[in-house]
Amino acid sequence: MKQTPDLDRAQQRMMPGELTLHGFLGDDTRKLVDIINEDGDAVLSRGVSHKQIADRLADIMEQGRDIMEREVNVEGRFTVTVRDDRGVLPSPFGDGCFEKGDCHVVDSETKSEFLFNGLTIHMIRTYGFYSGKGSQYRLEPAALIETFGIKPEAEE
Amino acid sequence: MDKILLAIEVLCGISLALTLLLLVAEFFFANYGDCEIDINNGDKKITAKGGGSLLSTLSEDKVFIPSACGGRGSCGFCKCKVDKGGGPVLPTETPYLSEEELKNNVRLSCQIKVKEDIAIRIPEELLSVKEFETTVESITDLTHDIKGVRFKLPEGETVRIKAGQYIQLVAPPYDEVHEPTSRAYSIASRPSDDEAIDLIIRLVPNGIVTTYVFEHLKEGDKAKLVGPFGDFYLRDTDKECIFIAGGSGLAPFRSMLYDMIEKGIKRKTTFFFGAVGLRDLYFVEEFAKLSEEHSWFKFVPALSGKEEGHSYERGLITDVVARSFEKMDNHEGYLCGSPGMIDACVRVLTAGGIPEDQIFYDKFA
Ligand SMILES: Cc1cc2nc3c(=O)[nH]c(=O)nc-3n(C[C@H](O)[C@H](O)[C@H](O)COP(=O)(O)OP(=O)(O)OC[C@H]3O[C@@H](n4cnc5c(N)ncnc54)[C@H](O)[C@@H]3O)c2cc1C
Ligand code: FES
Repeated sequence: MKQTPDLDRAQQRMMPGELTLHGFLGDDTRKLVDIINEDGDAVLSRGVSHKQIADRLADIMEQGRDIMEREVNVEGRFTVTVRDDRGVLPSPFGDGCFEKGDCHVVDSETKSEFLFNGLTIHMIRTYGFYSGKGSQYRLEPAALIETFGIKPEAEE
Repeated sequence: MDKILLAIEVLCGISLALTLLLLVAEFFFANYGDCEIDINNGDKKITAKGGGSLLSTLSEDKVFIPSACGGRGSCGFCKCKVDKGGGPVLPTETPYLSEEELKNNVRLSCQIKVKEDIAIRIPEELLSVKEFETTVESITDLTHDIKGVRFKLPEGETVRIKAGQYIQLVAPPYDEVHEPTSRAYSIASRPSDDEAIDLIIRLVPNGIVTTYVFEHLKEGDKAKLVGPFGDFYLRDTDKECIFIAGGSGLAPFRSMLYDMIEKGIKRKTTFFFGAVGLRDLYFVEEFAKLSEEHSWFKFVPALSGKEEGHSYERGLITDVVARSFEKMDNHEGYLCGSPGMIDACVRVLTAGGIPEDQIFYDKFA
C-alpha cells in the first residue's frame, strides 16, 4: 500500500492541536502508510485480523462500563475504568464522529496498561491504525494479541 | 516492471505539480468579488467577499452554524440546506450525508466555497445566536475535577436564554493548538441573570478546551462565548418533574430551578444528583436550602461508592430513582449527564411508565 492523498489528509489531521490536544502520532515521524503497514505485518504474521483485535477491545470496554465510571474487574484479570464523557470526537480519516470517553485497562498479570476509546477502536478496525509510537494511545499489536488472548480465527 | 512503476511515478508527479500550480494560481488570482448569501428566503441577507468557506463567511457576519471540528470537514455537524449555488457536492461531504439529505440539497457548510450568490436554509433559532466577548469574573473549584466559571458580558450587553440551553465556549489557540476551538457547555445561571453566564466544566484528560480552562484560563481573562443553542428546557405542562443529573450535568437544572422559582412554577419536582463519593458532590447546600424553602421541590443526592459517614441515598442513581416512585405515569423526565447515564436513566423511566417522548435530554453529542 502507498501513501494516498486521503492518507496525507488524515495524517495532517493527526497532528497535535488539529483534532486532539497532542495528536495521534506521538513522536512517530514515519508516513502514515508505513505505520499502518508495519502494524499490519505484526498482526498478519500472528494469524489474526484487525477486526478481531477491535472486537476484543470493544468487548473489554463494554464489560468495563459503569454509569458512575467506577473501576470494574473484567475476566478476573483486567482492572477497567471507562470514562463516560459528553460530546463526540471527529475521526482524522474524515469518516464520522465517535463518543469521547477513554477506556483504561490495567492487566494484573503483566502490569501493562492500555488506553483506547471508541475512535481508536474504529481506526484499528477500519484502517489497521494503532496510533503512532510515543502517543499515549499507542497500542502495540503484539502486546494486544498476547494480553487479550486473541487467537488465529481457525483456532477459535 | 521498473519502467511501468517509473512511468506511474512520473505521471503522479506531474499531476501533483499541476494541482499545486492550480492551487497557487487560485490563491493569487481567483477573485470572486462580492457574493450574496440569502438565509431562509430573505430573513437575512449577507454580502461578503467570495473565496472563504460558507461556514466561516457566515460566522464572520455573526451567523453561527454548530461545528465540532472547526470547519475541518470531519464532524458533519455544520449542515444546511442549499437552495441556490454552492457548486456540486464534494466527496468530503458524502460520508456525512444520508440519501435523503442529498436529495434535499443538504450540504456541509464548511465544505462549500463561496464563489457565487448562494441561498440557504438553516433552523430559525440559529439566527438569534450571538457571539459574546466576555470577561472571566470568577473561577471556583467545585470538586477535584469540576470548576465553576462565571463569564461577565460587556457593559450594557445582555443574553436571552431559555433555562436548560447550552452555549459554546471558544478556547483561543494555545500551545500546539493553532485554531480557536469551541465546545458546548450547559448554562448554569438563571435566565434573569442576563449580564453573565455560569458554566460548570469537568476536566477531560487530553481535552483541548477543558485543559485550556483548567491550566490557562484566569480570572480577568477575555473569553468568547457563542450561543445559546439547544432545545432542552422545561416543557409547558403540569406533570410532575423528575430531574436526573450526574457530574457536570447539574448545570441546566440549576438554571431551570431558579427560573421555576422566579416564574412561580410550583410543579412537584424531584432532583436526583448522582455521584460516586463525597468528593464528587457540589452545590449540595444550595439545593438543600431550595428544598427547605419550596415544598414542591425535593433534592436527592445519591452516592454509589462504599464510603461511610454520610446520610445521602446509597446506590446507583438509576436504582435510587426506581425505588423512589411507585408509579411514574404522571411524570416527565429531564436528564443531563454522560451518554451511558442517560441511556440507563431512559430505561428506568420508561419501565416506570414515562413514554419516551416525555423524557428530555440533549442528544446533540
Ligand atoms: C450539549 C452538550 C452540553 C455539554 N455540557 C457540558 C457541561 O455543562 N459541562 C461539561 O463539563 N461538559 C459539557 N459537555 C461536554 C463538552 O462539550 C466537551 O465535549 C468536553 O468538555 C470535552 O472537551 P475538550 O475539548 O476538553 O475535549 P476534546 O479535546 O474534545 O476530547 C478529549 C478526548 O479526546 C480523546 N482523545 C484525545 N487525544 C486522543 C488521541 N490521541 N487518540 C484518541 N483519542 C484521543 C480522548 O477520549 C479524550 O478524552 C457538553 C456537551 C454537549 C454536547
Ligand atoms: S464543521 Fe465539522 S464537518 Fe463542517
